[in-house]
Amino acid sequence: MGRYALQRLLGVIPLLFIVSVLVFLFIHLIPGDPARLIAGKDATLEEIHGIQEQLGLNLPLWKQYINYMGDLLTGNLGNSIRSGIPVTDMLESRIMPTLWLTFLSMAWALVIGLLIGVISAVYRNRWPDHLGTLTAISGMSMPGFWLGLVLIQIFSVELGWFPTGGVDSWKSYILPSITLGMGIMSMLARYSRSSMLETLREDYIRTGRAKGLREYVVISRHALRNSLIQVVTVAGLQFGFLLGGSVMVETVFSIPGLGRLLVDSILFRDYTVIQALLLLFSTQFILINLIVDLLYGVLNPKIRFSQ
Amino acid sequence: MKAKGKVWSMFMLLLITVVMTAGCGNKASNEGQGGNTAGGTETSTPTTKNDKDIVIAINSNFITLDPHNASDTHSISAARTMYEGLMGFDENMNVVPVLAASHSISKDGLVYTFTLQENVKFQDGTDFNAEAVKVNIARIQDEKNNLRLRKSFAKVAKVETPDAKTVVITLSEPYNAFLNKVAMAPIISPKAITDNGADISKSPVGTGPFKFKEWVQGDRLVVEKNPDYWQKDLPKVDSITFRPVPENGSRIAMLKTGEADFIYPMPTEQVSEVEGLEGITVDTIDSTIVRYVTLNTMKKPFDDVKVRQAINYAINKDAYIKVVKSGLGAKLDSTMSSKTQYYSQQTGYDYDIEKAKQLLAEAGYPDGFETEIWGENESETMKGMQFIQQQLALVGIKVEVKSMEGGTLSDQINSAKTPEEAKIQMWYVSWSPSSGDADGATRGLFSSEMFPPAGSNTAYYKNENVDNWIAEANKAVDPEAAKSIYANIQKTVWEDAPWAFMGVDQIISGKRSYLEGVKVFPDGSINVLNAEVK
Repeated sequence: MGRYALQRLLGVIPLLFIVSVLVFLFIHLIPGDPARLIAGKDATLEEIHGIQEQLGLNLPLWKQYINYMGDLLTGNLGNSIRSGIPVTDMLESRIMPTLWLTFLSMAWALVIGLLIGVISAVYRNRWPDHLGTLTAISGMSMPGFWLGLVLIQIFSVELGWFPTGGVDSWKSYILPSITLGMGIMSMLARYSRSSMLETLREDYIRTGRAKGLREYVVISRHALRNSLIQVVTVAGLQFGFLLGGSVMVETVFSIPGLGRLLVDSILFRDYTVIQALLLLFSTQFILINLIVDLLYGVLNPKIRFSQ
Repeated sequence: MKAKGKVWSMFMLLLITVVMTAGCGNKASNEGQGGNTAGGTETSTPTTKNDKDIVIAINSNFITLDPHNASDTHSISAARTMYEGLMGFDENMNVVPVLAASHSISKDGLVYTFTLQENVKFQDGTDFNAEAVKVNIARIQDEKNNLRLRKSFAKVAKVETPDAKTVVITLSEPYNAFLNKVAMAPIISPKAITDNGADISKSPVGTGPFKFKEWVQGDRLVVEKNPDYWQKDLPKVDSITFRPVPENGSRIAMLKTGEADFIYPMPTEQVSEVEGLEGITVDTIDSTIVRYVTLNTMKKPFDDVKVRQAINYAINKDAYIKVVKSGLGAKLDSTMSSKTQYYSQQTGYDYDIEKAKQLLAEAGYPDGFETEIWGENESETMKGMQFIQQQLALVGIKVEVKSMEGGTLSDQINSAKTPEEAKIQMWYVSWSPSSGDADGATRGLFSSEMFPPAGSNTAYYKNENVDNWIAEANKAVDPEAAKSIYANIQKTVWEDAPWAFMGVDQIISGKRSYLEGVKVFPDGSINVLNAEVK
């Protein structure tokens, strides 16, 4: 298992290299000249050329790429084209709000989603199932943007329980994480319900029950554990997408996170920042997939990989 | 199994109850928790305020705190809380002395002599004097620094400091807008320039009413009272926290809960939502931002002045203000806003569909023609373009609306190296002169040297008289002479109609009623010098 993990981890390196090349090329394919966008509407050509020169944007693309890779290999992500602030500083100050937000959203979505799924499956076609389905379907169909604004209106403006935005205390994360987690919670509820239903039909469950095991034990020890594999896959994938999804939530709740930084940077073609962020997102996506694979083995020893 | 089933049901019920109570709780249960902390957990509509720390919510992040390199309005606003220049602006964008006690200009318009205020200190304790001014101008002019203000000081030939309180700036040629440019140049402490170097953009030290406290990018910028500020009894508040809040609805919510004491901009379509609410005041003023449609005068059919005039007659500008601007704006009645230096009002182009049709027929387009309009993909701009499309359809002109993301649009416009290559036909856009000066509102837009990519003359407008006048106005020493030259320019361009003249934006801000003295200037910058909690 340990060796497998290590192998997989090493396999990430060439993958990241390919990603870095693609990211670099794609960014330079987007129309829009950063120097012009930074200089502003009333800039002179001389000014624009000055900025291009200063940022090395007048060099041929391959030279720019070599410079970029050289910097990257020495751990230097460069300075923001737009503000001149080192990219590492920017990422450092923006990463925590996004991590808190995504972890919190994932945590509650997992717990509640699983709970609803399991209850729905156990009480199939009875009122708890109908209620669970209703909750999941409405959760899935609510646009996050709208949900965020509604939550602000109810819980901040009307009731005054939570701040409307910012990241001053733990309270600031409640409404955004509800908004961000709602879709995943609903999806997990649906997946865990169907996965659970399937498992409950298995022979070993019938055997367990026939042996006189208590229903609680049948469900929590046998059925739940085996249906978790599907759920982990979905959860893992969704977690990867969460960082992207946080763009909208961070905008509605004015959270100074990576998602908003990405949008701002794209608008101004801040190449260095976009590159760093895309690399970061790709890395976390790859790592989460790795973790999901490893979790399979933990959940079901039968799926452990031969070496 | 039944007994276990009950446990599940109970749990489910509990869950539902928790969710329901969270949604339906009443305010009474929350009383006593209050406290107007930065976290803002207080219940809604506070009408008084005990502390003197104010929060201002704006719509985007600050880019830099280097005052010589800031080009976005918010960064300029931030700089002005901590920095001051020799000159500054009043709320009508008139240039007024700040760190200069007085100034004089030589008859030939080349020598500017500034006498400095006495007893002014930088926030790091060093003296403000003539040498400091000289160091700052040298920093701006240094090519290596590539600062945004450099072109404003390109005509400065030398800076002399005969004594500690006098600065003499000599220009290489007369430059009518120079005082406006001086007003855009805040003075940084020379010690900070030496000590902080490139970090000036993160650690500002000026002579302003507020001192830098902290800048958490994307979250907040906090400035606190400068106790040694040279102007008596100012500032009247202890600190100001600026928070970038991009979402319009969230900004309004912050104003309602009192988490923000001031918000800018207030989205036009939501003004009606807060107007009349207790404790909230909405302020509106005319801005220097003009909205117009450039018509490519080198392309058929816009090469015919009658077609361009017909378009101006065919669009109902009153309806435009009502429909697109929610009634919050004014008709554009010149090439610049009434808040810009040397503005001169024009008349004509009142809504007249018959006249438009007649002009089109005279130009050889009795049945109209097909064309396209470009603009950014932001919702109000799209609404504006659709309005124009609908209006022009009434006289037979079929307009296709093409909206693009800002960077892509900029590329489309600037990739044409010559007027012949240009694909642009109509472009719905806005412009604001950064220092409120007439040159800034004219040269880049109407001088034939400013065709893209060199400038923003996207109408490819060329009129020799206008070209000459622009050069002349810049060199005019006497303000009256400059005024009459600019009046000529505005009249001529108005008649030539390289634009469909649309509107002047209004600047709308919202505030809690206990807050006074925070003002948004016509250029969109926020001024907090006189902020006061009553």
